[in-house]
Amino acid sequence: MISKRLTKSLFSRSNLRAVIAIFVFLVLWEVGSRSKDWFGFPMPWVGHVPPPTAVLVAWYGLLGDPGYWQSWYMSTLRVLAGFLAAMVIGIPLGLFMAVNKTFHGIVFPSFEVLRPIPPLAWVPASIIFWPTQELSIAFVTFLGAFFTIVINVLGGAKSIDPRFFQSAQSMGSSQWDVFRRVVLPATLPSIVVGSAVGMGITWEVVVAAEMISGGGGTTGSGGGLGFFIWNSYVGGSYEQIVVGMISIGIAGFVCSELLRKLGGYLTPWLRKR
Amino acid sequence: MNQNQTADLLKRSMPFQTVPGEMLEAIAKLARYESYARGDVIYHQGDFADDVFIVSSGAVQHTLGIGFQATHPEKIVRSGGVFGWAAVLDNQRTRMAKTVCMERTELIRINGEELINFFKATPETGDIVMSRFATMINKEYTMPEEVAGHVPHFTQVPVTVATGLSLTMFRLSQWLKSPKPYLMMTGFGILLATWYLAVEVWKLPRFADMPGLTTVMKEWFSKDPVYGLSIWTPEYYQHIWVSVRRILIAFFLATVLGVPLGLFLGWSKTFREYVFPVFETLRPIPILAWVPLAIIMFQGSETPVIFLTFLASFYATALNTMLGVETIDESYSRAAACLGASKWQVFREVIVPGAMPFMFTGLQISIGVAWFSLVAGEMVAGEYGLGYVINTSYTMVRYPTIVIGMITLGIVGYVSSALVRMAGDYMMQWRVRELALGGR
Repeated sequence: MISKRLTKSLFSRSNLRAVIAIFVFLVLWEVGSRSKDWFGFPMPWVGHVPPPTAVLVAWYGLLGDPGYWQSWYMSTLRVLAGFLAAMVIGIPLGLFMAVNKTFHGIVFPSFEVLRPIPPLAWVPASIIFWPTQELSIAFVTFLGAFFTIVINVLGGAKSIDPRFFQSAQSMGSSQWDVFRRVVLPATLPSIVVGSAVGMGITWEVVVAAEMISGGGGTTGSGGGLGFFIWNSYVGGSYEQIVVGMISIGIAGFVCSELLRKLGGYLTPWLRKR
Repeated sequence: MNQNQTADLLKRSMPFQTVPGEMLEAIAKLARYESYARGDVIYHQGDFADDVFIVSSGAVQHTLGIGFQATHPEKIVRSGGVFGWAAVLDNQRTRMAKTVCMERTELIRINGEELINFFKATPETGDIVMSRFATMINKEYTMPEEVAGHVPHFTQVPVTVATGLSLTMFRLSQWLKSPKPYLMMTGFGILLATWYLAVEVWKLPRFADMPGLTTVMKEWFSKDPVYGLSIWTPEYYQHIWVSVRRILIAFFLATVLGVPLGLFLGWSKTFREYVFPVFETLRPIPILAWVPLAIIMFQGSETPVIFLTFLASFYATALNTMLGVETIDESYSRAAACLGASKWQVFREVIVPGAMPFMFTGLQISIGVAWFSLVAGEMVAGEYGLGYVINTSYTMVRYPTIVIGMITLGIVGYVSSALVRMAGDYMMQWRVRELALGGR
């Protein structure tokens, strides 16, 4: 019974179409990048990209390479460091700004002035400031997630119905009770959303920061996935670039999904039935 | 009754309360004094309405004719009260009521035509007086628009609605009265003071290497900058222009391609089932991971940067537009189809306007991420542009120029987002009105 339902949902029309679409996409890519060998004329743009089969072969070769997995490890570590720092500083800051008007008045304008500066513009300044490359990359990743998390937390806290505060207060809640029982649960969904978005940005930033700063490690492939990509580009192994891109895509996707799952667990009242 | 007394009486009456003193005296010159005995009829219903009356002392019974739906068909007008305002209406110059003096009554009467002519010379004041007449009429009638709508207007713009500059000035003065600007200044002060003190005065361990506040400012506004870039050098604007141009091209392409794609993705289920999986497979790959591939695919240094910028904007625009179409209540499409709309008409009249609000949210996100990836692209692959300035300044140890580049990026990025938001607000006025009318 269950297996029947499973097969039915697995082979539903939309899934079938998805498979067809991705297959067609891969075939077009393959044909496009091999057109020079097969038809004698190179396709514009796609002609320069290595074909998917070659990418798969390169990937298979890399699976046993500890350096490749080291890159995964390094990037994940940096993302986690920057992301956790952004959570630890950003969430209390956002909540405090939402609760205290004076603090909001003092801090928010300065925050808004710094926010439009793209995180990557901070890379050189961050390299000058922080003693190690590792810290400077983590700092830039931190910035990427920080602004998004604060804005989301603040927005979430601001949209709370003021009647909730009034009723809590009229029933004798202390300031702490209001914070603990009203503000925190009401902002939890936006904290989750902000974190998930912030996680995506963190992966974007870490790649670029690694590319620009040179990855931290001097030994080629030890410097994270962004450096792995850049190194492959400099070394001319174009298949590995695509492998690196897909790897980062997978890493970022897994991280965001985990965060969403965790968020769903933390906010059970929002689950769809 | 002398001129001053008349002016005082006018000042007490509702329509003329706000008229300045010297104008009141001029109006008082138009007024004629009259006194009636008890039982005198001042006018009958249907008479030609020539004058407006203001009671000085005594009492006048005012009985509205049948057919005029009044809240109070009968009322007594006493000292300071105004009646006979049919004389200032522009369409109907007949009396709608009968007025009888209940005791010995003194009053002044002003010719309606003369009053209107007088106000034509001073339209602002005239409109205030007339709007007060209209308010009076509104209070007395259950169907006020019919009558009050004919109170003449002198200025092109109704003065009761503050617009443009006056509104801005009013908001500015309100803002200055609130604690906000002072807290803001405190915040900026703390930020800049920390920067200045930490770097240039106390020379804290890591901060000492950073460019200080005064160094950066001196360099930025210097006519002869040490590192070759300030607001006086043409290169500065060249870099800004190159970056802005790239943003413009990428943003334009992303909008032109992303909006239709998003609309079709949301509109046609078949199309979405085929296209969206590919879209979703490519999307988790960070834009910046595309940098080397972009350099390989598009030769030269200009196209890869534009491609990266475009890609970031494109995802944001297409995805938000699709979400916008999905949020449209399906009953709208069904209702339109029931009324005989073709598929194309449903698309044009329901889907496109319905997705607009989300589309503009998408465009706002899109311009933000465009700057984000432009900087990365320029830092890695560009020639010219603000990201390039920041990166080369680092490698060539021109530290103050890094900060100049960052500040400039912040300003230009902010302005571009604000422009997109303003355009969105302007085009979304119908939605704002709808929300306001819905009371939400």
